[in-house]
This record gives sequence, C-alpha cells and structure tokens, in this order.
Amino acid sequence: MTSPRATTRPTGSGPGRLLVAIYGILALAATARGIYQVATKLSEAPLAYLLSLLAGLVYCVATYALATNRRSIAWPAVLVELVGVLTVGTLSVVDVGDFPDETVWSGFGAGYGYIPLVLPFLGIWWLWSTGRARADTTADGGPTPVG
Amino acid sequence: MIVPVALLVGVLCLALAGWATWFVVLDRAVILRQLWGGAVIEAALVIQAVVAGVVLLVGDHDVDAALFWGYVITQLIVLPIAAAWAFAERTRWSSVVLLVAALTVGFLEFRLWQIWETL
Repeated sequence: MTSPRATTRPTGSGPGRLLVAIYGILALAATARGIYQVATKLSEAPLAYLLSLLAGLVYCVATYALATNRRSIAWPAVLVELVGVLTVGTLSVVDVGDFPDETVWSGFGAGYGYIPLVLPFLGIWWLWSTGRARADTTADGGPTPVG
Repeated sequence: MIVPVALLVGVLCLALAGWATWFVVLDRAVILRQLWGGAVIEAALVIQAVVAGVVLLVGDHDVDAALFWGYVITQLIVLPIAAAWAFAERTRWSSVVLLVAALTVGFLEFRLWQIWETL
C-alpha cells in the first residue's frame, strides 16, 4: 500500500498523544485481563475469554499503529473495535444465551466507563481529520493520486 | 496492603493530576519537577510491591496472585511511559498525558486495595 505518511499529519503527536495514551491504557487493561482469564479459567467460558484476549490484542495493535502513524493498520484496528463493542455490547444487553459477560466490550464497555464505546469514534475522527490535514491522499491509506 | 501507603499514593496521584491539570490550563509542557513528583510516586509503588510480596510470602494473607501482580505490574509501567513522552512531546499534550497517567495510577491503587481486601 502506498504510504500517506509523508503528506498527512502524524497520528501520534500533539492531541494524538492523548488518544494513544488512552488506547494504551485500555490495551494494557484488556490484554492483562484476557491473559488472566485465559490462563486461569478458560474452561468456564472459552468463547468469552478468548474474545476478551482478542479485544486486548486489537487494542495493542491500534495503540502501536496510532503511535507510529501506521494508518493502514490503524484504520482496520479501530473499525474492528467499533464493530466489536457494538456487537458484543448489543448481544450482552439482550442476553442471547450465555454470551460473554466479562469482556471489555460487554455492556458497551460499561465496566470501563464506556471508554471502549467512545474510543473507536474518537479514533475514526482523529484518523480522518489528520488524514485530511495536509493531504491530497485518501485517509484510509488508499492509492495516492498522481501528482 | 498498608493502608497509609495506599492513601499516600492516592493523595500524591491526585496532587500530580492537579498540577498537570494546571499546566494544561496554562498551555505548558511537563517540567522536570513534575517528573520528580512522579518518581516519588513510583518509589512508593515499588516499596508497596516489595512489602506486599514479603507479606504474601511469610504472612497469612492471601490474594488472587495473578490478578494482584497483574495490577502491580500495570501500575508500575504507566508513569515511566508518561515520563518518556514528556521528553518527546514538548507541548501541553504531554501535560494531558501526565494527567491521565496520574489518575490511572490512582485508580489502579484503589483497585489493588479492593483486590487485597477481598478473598
């Protein structure tokens, strides 16, 4: 993929630091929790705990990508989080079967002050606005226009 | 866990968070003196971890070890990262990050205390 890095505003500096910091804390919290759950009680609810760990790893990827200005990785990571929090959040609220009750995404992230719900939107907005800042490239890291 | 130390950590975190907030308002970057403040908190955390380790080894107190040490390690990581960023980002945003970091450490201290008390 062509790199829009040269022409767009870096995602990891200025206000982006705050976003990366919050992503980092959530990544740390969710991954540590996921590892703990998988390591100590995987058999109780394999789907929930593996999902928990997966969520944590996606936050790690998003943190890394935003910090190092890798848009083509950051976009999918942030979008996966949005889909994840909305899907798992909805399923946990309507309570389909014994769906995971103990992931960062459960109850739309209520256990984490709804930060998991707000963060993807902030991430998308930030990627979009920094991508437009000084750029003639598309924000999603797509092909750079000729010229 | 030693209650006075936990309280001290909580108060210091709030103080550092307040100081950082003031710098956000003033539109200033983190200064070295604030990092020394962070270092004092970090030192208290290390002492607390060592004491907790000793108590768990020789005392009769018991905790969910994986959970407890997971929180301890997480808590120890946060301030050093914020400090590293303070050098890299010389704008008010380093103060915002320090503010978030201080509040996070304070919150983790509260959770640690909860974990210590239950079980």
